[in-house]
Amino acid sequence: MKFIVSASSLLKHLQQISGVINANTVLPILEDFLFDIDGKKLNIIATDLETVMRVQMDVESKENGKVCIPAKILIDSLKNIADQPLSFNIDKNYAVEITSDNGKYKVMGENPDNFPKEPVADDTNTFTMSSTALVTAINNTLFAVSSDDLRPAMTGVFFELKKEALQFVATDAHRLVRYKRTDVTCPKTDSFIVPKKPLNLLKNALPNNEDELSISYNSNHLFVTHGSTQLVCRLIDARFPDYKVVIPTDNPYKLVVNKQDFQNALRRVSVFSNKSTNQVALNISGSELQLAAQDVDFSFEGNERMNCQYDGEDLQIAFNAKFLIEMLGVADSAEVKVELSTPTKAGIIKPTEQGDNEDVLMLVMPLMLNN
Amino acid sequence: MLYHQERHITHLDLDTFFVSVECLRNPALLGKPVLIGGSGDRGVVASCSYEARKFGIHSAMPMKIARRLCSHAIIVRGDMEAYSKYSRLVTNIIQDTVPLFEKSSIDEFYVDLTGMDKFFGCQLFSGELKKKIYKESGLPISFGLASNKLISKVATNEVKPNGQIEIPFGNEKIYLAPLSIAKLPGVGKQTALLLFKMGVETVKVLSEIPIEMMQNLLGKSGTDLWRKANGIDETPVVPFHEQKSISTENTFQQDTIDIHFLNSELVRMTEKIAFELRQQNKLTGCITVKLRYSNFETFTRQLTIPYTNADHIILKTAKELFAKLYERRMLIRLIGIRFTNLIPGNYQISLFDDTQESINLYQAIDSVKKRFGEDLLIRATGARKV
Repeated sequence: MKFIVSASSLLKHLQQISGVINANTVLPILEDFLFDIDGKKLNIIATDLETVMRVQMDVESKENGKVCIPAKILIDSLKNIADQPLSFNIDKNYAVEITSDNGKYKVMGENPDNFPKEPVADDTNTFTMSSTALVTAINNTLFAVSSDDLRPAMTGVFFELKKEALQFVATDAHRLVRYKRTDVTCPKTDSFIVPKKPLNLLKNALPNNEDELSISYNSNHLFVTHGSTQLVCRLIDARFPDYKVVIPTDNPYKLVVNKQDFQNALRRVSVFSNKSTNQVALNISGSELQLAAQDVDFSFEGNERMNCQYDGEDLQIAFNAKFLIEMLGVADSAEVKVELSTPTKAGIIKPTEQGDNEDVLMLVMPLMLNN
Repeated sequence: MLYHQERHITHLDLDTFFVSVECLRNPALLGKPVLIGGSGDRGVVASCSYEARKFGIHSAMPMKIARRLCSHAIIVRGDMEAYSKYSRLVTNIIQDTVPLFEKSSIDEFYVDLTGMDKFFGCQLFSGELKKKIYKESGLPISFGLASNKLISKVATNEVKPNGQIEIPFGNEKIYLAPLSIAKLPGVGKQTALLLFKMGVETVKVLSEIPIEMMQNLLGKSGTDLWRKANGIDETPVVPFHEQKSISTENTFQQDTIDIHFLNSELVRMTEKIAFELRQQNKLTGCITVKLRYSNFETFTRQLTIPYTNADHIILKTAKELFAKLYERRMLIRLIGIRFTNLIPGNYQISLFDDTQESINLYQAIDSVKKRFGEDLLIRATGARKV
């Protein structure tokens, strides 16, 4: 088998999907890309058994065929080769010979029949959405996903499909983000949980533009297709916690602050908090918000005060500053509204202005102060 | 470095601390032989009054023997909580008065007064501190002022009770020379016996032994001892540090195999120190359970957990650890529980595991405990049978 391909174009395509490949794999063949030529089209596939990514590019070739090529050595070599046509020669023992203007390189490939088969897309439901909508949704939720393997349901983003909207929910049991798109029409009311890794890969591989994505799912897998690029991943087989009941609906006190000022103040003050808890206490009274952090072990202390609009009773409430900073980073408006009730109940953070077709709600649980 | 210049270090030691606290709480005890410690046969004397010492009683002596020596002694079961409270009170007074101090135990402090002699006079300053502590806490305290920690500690022990002394710079060796080697900190029963057998009884003799010989005799601790005998001690006064762990353990009146009783004790002890943890606004990241069988074989097992101070998580972990630890069908003498990896902070409430009711309940329980005493409201599992 023989084909000719542009070095830079090949590298670009490989880098789109190389994130799938884990550094330490159980099966040696999972360190390979599968090259599959079918009528002048080269399909390149990478998998870690949970996620499969596939890209397609044009090549010059006379025959169809398949081979597995070790990923790391291929990418390392392509990074150092100037853009030029490369010719690949594969013999019947799957030895790969790459010829460039500078010389010849040889690497041992593997039998493509041993490469794991892709999941079949049967019995699927399909809908479409814009690439930017999915990328934004991932950016808005992924940071709140839990890394606690003991609770698998929370290690992914919950996709909640409705006829007139698509909701993305992520939580680590201490905070929760719900991002809603109303410009997506789903075939039926349904839901599934997508693990963190494929979402990270999608975020990096998808363009932040209006390109249309086709999204299909069945009971086990999610299929995302963008042109000739495709990602298939296994869904998390667990029940997402009933998050709706924990979202307070009657938080009476509203605090409105400048987002940038609040975020900067938290960043400065939290430097002086304990590094494990990042505990920052907020003292809110009238139009003043005080932030206080300390680490008694080292006698560190940080205090700041800033202006705010607040219509509730005086309140002292403590939060993990890291959570607040990350959440404020997602809020896409000049001001944010924080809805509070008691020092032990969840606070709700919302941007004061929301984009068309989108709705963000963030929720964070306080730290229990001794009264 | 500061070490090369003359230092002024005061060692402060509260006289018969536990007894003094008990006398404050109950003046009827004043002037009587008082023993602090468990009253059962297995208890030991944690502290005793000077009146009791006349009978030959000393701390760490089994209670049974102490009672034989002085049958009319008053035995008070210790109250660590009260002692900690008074210790903190004294710590606060010292903290407010001096620039640098080290709390080396519940009733001992080292204060570094180097550089203050020019302005205040260290002897005068220490004397005033002693008076201030007595005035504000009611507890008698002794101090020794010297050029290093070792001499100041030895000197304090010599002038107790209610004494004060200054060993001027340069007189360290002369001061130590006539003392018995047993008075040097770090010389235990075994070492003392060994040296006595060799005819070494006073510090003077010890200090004249060549250092190489001490090295051969006792290794590293031999050279340390030699340096001590020569009045050399360069250890700095380390600033006061928060405790790194909270723990409690319980030796039973009788070895037991009663699993319900053991579980109940575990719950009671865990609940007690978890409350203490919350009162100190701390979180623990590691829980250790300790178990000693009747043959004194001791085992521990620990688990690292996400930082918490919530009863339901800590109790669950402690019970699991105990279940894993207790694998022999053998009588148990002691169980203990310890929290380490302590960091300052408060409990992060969980969205799904905690309900508003449980949070309110926890807060209510803690406020009742704070107001009326921590033993008043406990889990039924942890309650002792009457």
